[in-house]
Amino acid sequence: MKKAHQLVFLIMLCGMLALTGCAKGDSGKTADSKNSATGEKGKDSDSSLSPYKITLVYPATAPKDLQLVQDEMSKYLTEKINATIELKPIEWASWDDKTNLMKISNEPFDLMFTASWFSYPKDAAKGQYLELDDLMAQYGKDIPGVLGDDFIKGSRIGGKLYALPTKKEFGQGFGFLLDKKLVDKYKFDTSGVKSLEDMEAMFKTIKENEPGITPIVSSKFTNIWEASNYDGIVANLAIPRDSKELKAVDTLEDPKFIEFYKRMHQWNQNGWFDKDVLTSDADQGMNMIKAGKAFAVAQSLKPGKDKEMSLSSGVDVIQVETAEPFTTTGDAQGAMLGISRTSKDPARAMMFLNMLYSDPKLLNMLDWGIEGKHYVKKSENMIDFPEGVNADTQTYPNPGGWMFGNQFNSYLWANEDPNKWEEFQKFNDRAERSIALGFAFNQEPVKSEMASIANVEKEFGASLRSGAVDPEKILAKWIEKRKAAGFDKVKAEVDKQLAEWAQTK
Amino acid sequence: MVRELNLKKWIGPSLIHLFFWAFTIASLIPFILVFMVSISSEDSILQNGYSLFPSHISFAAYQFLFNDFSEIAKAYGVTILSTIIGTVVSLLITALFAYPLSRPDLPFRSTLSFYIFFTMLFGGGMVPWYITYVNMFDLKNTIFAMIIPNLLLSAFNVLLMRSFFASTIPESVVESATIDGAGELRIFFKIVLPLSLPIMATIGLFNTLAYWNDWYNCMLFIDKPELYNIQYLMTKTLTNIQYLLMKSNSSAQVGDLLAKMPRETVRMALAIVGIAPLLFAYPFFQKYYISGITSGAVKG
Repeated sequence: MKKAHQLVFLIMLCGMLALTGCAKGDSGKTADSKNSATGEKGKDSDSSLSPYKITLVYPATAPKDLQLVQDEMSKYLTEKINATIELKPIEWASWDDKTNLMKISNEPFDLMFTASWFSYPKDAAKGQYLELDDLMAQYGKDIPGVLGDDFIKGSRIGGKLYALPTKKEFGQGFGFLLDKKLVDKYKFDTSGVKSLEDMEAMFKTIKENEPGITPIVSSKFTNIWEASNYDGIVANLAIPRDSKELKAVDTLEDPKFIEFYKRMHQWNQNGWFDKDVLTSDADQGMNMIKAGKAFAVAQSLKPGKDKEMSLSSGVDVIQVETAEPFTTTGDAQGAMLGISRTSKDPARAMMFLNMLYSDPKLLNMLDWGIEGKHYVKKSENMIDFPEGVNADTQTYPNPGGWMFGNQFNSYLWANEDPNKWEEFQKFNDRAERSIALGFAFNQEPVKSEMASIANVEKEFGASLRSGAVDPEKILAKWIEKRKAAGFDKVKAEVDKQLAEWAQTK
Repeated sequence: MVRELNLKKWIGPSLIHLFFWAFTIASLIPFILVFMVSISSEDSILQNGYSLFPSHISFAAYQFLFNDFSEIAKAYGVTILSTIIGTVVSLLITALFAYPLSRPDLPFRSTLSFYIFFTMLFGGGMVPWYITYVNMFDLKNTIFAMIIPNLLLSAFNVLLMRSFFASTIPESVVESATIDGAGELRIFFKIVLPLSLPIMATIGLFNTLAYWNDWYNCMLFIDKPELYNIQYLMTKTLTNIQYLLMKSNSSAQVGDLLAKMPRETVRMALAIVGIAPLLFAYPFFQKYYISGITSGAVKG
């Protein structure tokens, strides 16, 4: 009896040792290659690159012709940098689970999509992505020129660059999408709209003359308003947009904020919101406009957003901006590609990245597929579906041009504005940079407080945003409960990190 | 007096009947609603929301699905294949483990029972589990990834079977077979298994359902669309949309992605295509299901 126990334990122990041995060996190896790859490997491989397969992991639904496009890209890459490519699209829904396990189990892959809203700061802190400055200086010479300083500055964490952002719209525009039919009917002048007061006049007209139509859908509008006026850090701590000093204020006590929510309360009293205002979102808003039941829905805007939405939803909408575009760290880090610590040849991955920014041919293969099969060229940079193919039957739908490299090199679709990228450039130049651009808050030291503060917010946030209750009353309660949840500690931490970050600038 | 009794006799059962009728209808309505939405036109849903009586009937969603039916057909193939192989193999392994444990003359019997029981209390956790299958056995993107993990050996089923063998196979039967010169394997296959068909049917059915409904392993281990199983195909369509809705506040791009997602009616049609075969097959299973469990519970 005893012997058997011992025997089994011995076997188990051996197994465990073997396992941990494996894991240890692996991590040791990756650490080694990290150091050597950036140094020696690069130097002697300029003249004769050995064949290498680059793996690119990004969120998308795998299209039917993935293999074809992959082969085509590999052919082209073999000529250029003697590499082949493996595209690894992962379903949005499984992204979190799958990629977490890939990272933990040291799975070898080269490039991965990441973003500030996609756990970039967390992964960078864990050391999942390599630092890119040296690599970029050596193998990504074209990238800084394409991106410009602001983009790269905004992508840094603690002064270090762990991923490269896509060159796309740099900032967020704010305003509404309006139903074109109604705008024409009442002859609203949308060109002069600059403020919420102008919008109110329209809502009033709609409410009085169109009994079956909701003037504005969804309280998500308030998120957009907050984002256009504050660079939010965490838990209602934010830097006001026109602030000259790097100091976080508590929005719940900010007069501008309180006044805005009084206005929302008024809107709600006027009956301008939809009845599901607590839960509805922009997607539902578009559907209601399509069904002829609503007039306006708030949106983050970029040039040509109204055209895009008109195309995808099949109803004509017009966009009006109620605030100038604004750029925060979140916008700079809205879509990026990082090089994994498990990459066996980071130098080659960087060469590939460099091509995504500077080589339109490669980028458009990734974005649109193979010319003549998935698209036909109408002019130098305008494309359309080939004969007999439409949006429902296409075999390589675009995985999302905003995820890769330099979006300004991407072909434009025949029904898009031919000047789209010029408009984008103007938009980027016009966007105001936040004073805290590049600052990212590390939540680790105050994780538990953050969780309880988030719970407090759940309790009050929705009713405040929908304007259902008088803001004065609810804010007082909210502030009190938040204090009990450890808000002061979080505020101190934010101030500390901001001060430290200011030193590195 | 007599009549009153009759009335009482009649009220009780009819209440019970009424309750079960209501229960049945309540279980059916969601299915019917899904079906009705799948044959409505997209516009009528935008205008009037879901309804049990579609105002415009349109089969556009099904046309859209059957445009490219190869994907669904493949997914069915994967599901059926892994279900059949998985059920047979796991049943065999479970029985081969449970039978010796039920024999009192097995050395280290209690120790071995404890080892299987131990796995019910403590698991290694998600990460080691994943690493084992991916790094050591390299099951990623193979059909085995949907057969081997998790389902091959459920400790609970082993214990269930063990107690069934112990209580229904008389010691004397095995003894007399041994005297007649039968070896262990022959005893197991020729005598023990035929005597324990009820438990086999029950556990076989548990396994079948577990394999049929499993999408989680497919999600973790499979990247290639041609190896998706039908459950994952449905799950991903629905959860992609939920995930993007959750993230839609934090990224302007996500809104554009959402606009490209399959429409409401298509999602519902996919759900119908996914469950229809099982709905037809279930009544035939049902019979065995009930008899298996009851005969498992009755001794003798």
